[in-house]
Amino acid sequence: MAGHRRSAQTQLMLRPPRNGVDPRARRWWTVQALLTVSGPLLLVAVALLVNSLLFFPGALPWLAPLLLVTCVLPAVAYVLAMPRLRCRIHAWEVGEAAVYAAGGWLLRKRRIAPLSRVQTVDTVRGPLQSRFGLATVTVTTASTAGDVRIAGVSDEDAEWLATRIADAARLVPADGDAA
Amino acid sequence: MSEQQPEQQPEQWPAQAAPAQAPEPWRTLDPRTIAVHCTWMGAPLGSLALTALATGGRLDTRAWITLAVIAVVFAGIAASGVVTWRRTRYRVTADAVELRTGLLTRSVRAIPLHRVRNVDITANAVQRVLGLAVLRAGTGGGGRGGEISLEALARPEAVRLRAELLARAGARRADDPVLAGADLRRLRYAPLTFWAVGGVFAAAGGVWRILDGIGIEPWRIGIVRRAFDDFGHSFLWVTVPLALLAITVLGAVGAVALYAEEWWDYRLEWTDAATLRVRHGLFTTRSVSIERARLRGVTLREPLLLRAGGGASVRAVAGGLGNTEENRRRSVVLPPASYAEALRVCDGVLGEPLGAPELTPHPRAALRRRLVRALAWCVLPPAVVLAVLGALLTPVLLYCAAGWVLLAAPVAYGLGRDAYRGLGHGLRGRFLLVRSGTFGRETTALDRSAVLAWTFTDSPFSRRAGVVTATAAVAAGEGGYRIRDMSADTAAGFAEAATPGMLAEFLEPSRSAVNDGPS
Repeated sequence: MAGHRRSAQTQLMLRPPRNGVDPRARRWWTVQALLTVSGPLLLVAVALLVNSLLFFPGALPWLAPLLLVTCVLPAVAYVLAMPRLRCRIHAWEVGEAAVYAAGGWLLRKRRIAPLSRVQTVDTVRGPLQSRFGLATVTVTTASTAGDVRIAGVSDEDAEWLATRIADAARLVPADGDAA
Repeated sequence: MSEQQPEQQPEQWPAQAAPAQAPEPWRTLDPRTIAVHCTWMGAPLGSLALTALATGGRLDTRAWITLAVIAVVFAGIAASGVVTWRRTRYRVTADAVELRTGLLTRSVRAIPLHRVRNVDITANAVQRVLGLAVLRAGTGGGGRGGEISLEALARPEAVRLRAELLARAGARRADDPVLAGADLRRLRYAPLTFWAVGGVFAAAGGVWRILDGIGIEPWRIGIVRRAFDDFGHSFLWVTVPLALLAITVLGAVGAVALYAEEWWDYRLEWTDAATLRVRHGLFTTRSVSIERARLRGVTLREPLLLRAGGGASVRAVAGGLGNTEENRRRSVVLPPASYAEALRVCDGVLGEPLGAPELTPHPRAALRRRLVRALAWCVLPPAVVLAVLGALLTPVLLYCAAGWVLLAAPVAYGLGRDAYRGLGHGLRGRFLLVRSGTFGRETTALDRSAVLAWTFTDSPFSRRAGVVTATAAVAAGEGGYRIRDMSADTAAGFAEAATPGMLAEFLEPSRSAVNDGPS
């Protein structure tokens, strides 16, 4: 602990990025959760319950609690918690010299890449995202561990982000890695 | 770069009249390549011959059909080899190296000479016998698009071409010393590698598959059966240790043989001021050249066994060595050797002395997390399974569960402590140092100017423990190098210190530091 005390006086912490996601992102993530995880889980539970009700009524006393614990509760918890946590954590910011993004829901990931190292800026709108007027902006660097992903921004923000980062990347002289 | 460029000259203009601008003639690969091309039919032919031997020369219909199929395939391969060889042409023009290929579709790939970053020469056993070598020239851009592979050239031609390419790639000659050479004493570290144990099982699996492939069931062979009958049941307390000893000895011998084959005639040197070259191999010679500008650091590897024996190996962290698998194979600059020599090679590769790395330890929470993880994932599951089964079936399993816990818990505790002691990070000169791991401990020195991005990852558990994992992204080696479980309070400050200015605008004084200063 002694080693940490010295730095405690001048300790600097990473603050969260300034811009949050678009309010529509929460609905997008909810629909996504329903389509990919929660919906299928609930469907399986319902199908099994209906089947057992029709053909094996004797199995209900143990099947119902089992399904409740393994399918229904996780599905409901996921669809309620994931979008809420993502909205709280996801954020982005383009600074003078670097782009900064936070993401994740259970595992939180914050990534900072200098604009001078940016190689490409990709904007992706999935079928679901475009329905909500959202986009995902991915800023790539030369390293696979250095790609910054900003999910759930509005179309206008995505456009602004793409031009802003591309401009900045052009202005800031590329160092070292280009040649 | 355009491949049409040299076509400015009229067709009839003699090449030797204007050597500066005349189009370079297209050159063919060595015709012996076709023979190499056909050699992989050796495996099925060999297995067929073995079958013939085993059955005393009486081949059944199935074998004849197989033989016919092999003959047809052989003819096809030989024909395609001839056509491929005829169609493949390469040349080195004033500013690019070009390769024309294609059986059905023709393609021309050109790599500008100033983009060539590494030139490797390799040769497998067959190519070696025939005096051939494969030359690969890459831009280091990653992916297959940035590489030209000439398979294969006569060996002197390959060596000459490599010298030419590297010279034209802008590298300067210098007489820098050889960093490390072949040394028989290094062989004693060979049994401390994975192959000492894994090799036996891999070899046994291989033999089994061959026997299975030619239809012999090993347990039907008289000797094996008798040996098993005689020793298998009777003296278990003798047989089991004997078998373990035999496996260990076999593994050690195999590991030494493999090591000798791979690292025969090893040499690591700066061929000029800008090119690091490592060359080794007995039957297959491998030679990898790494340009200094692509060199981002080194990794000192000390797997558990090797560390116990006081050894280490060294890998270069460099861009453009191919995908993860190729990178793992080609980045080795020093095979398992003594720790002192490994440190010396690290210094030689980096070009400045690092000394024995003295690193900042990580918070106690990291130790707790490691211990909990070791107990919860390795000790607990078998114990629970055994206990539940024991409660349901027989009390013997309960004793087994207790025995397992008594045996495994101290081991897990020791490994957890070792993993914690391995954690560390620090700054030394222009390098960022990261160390972690217990089974495969790695200490990596990364050029700070090569860090492309920083990532901070945490989970609900690690947030509560006050630790965070910071990842430095580089366009070399494994891509991202993780500093696991460092104190959440100092992580951002450390990253900013390592790469000044990268995080500055997103930092603010920590609230906890303001409230309770000397915590």
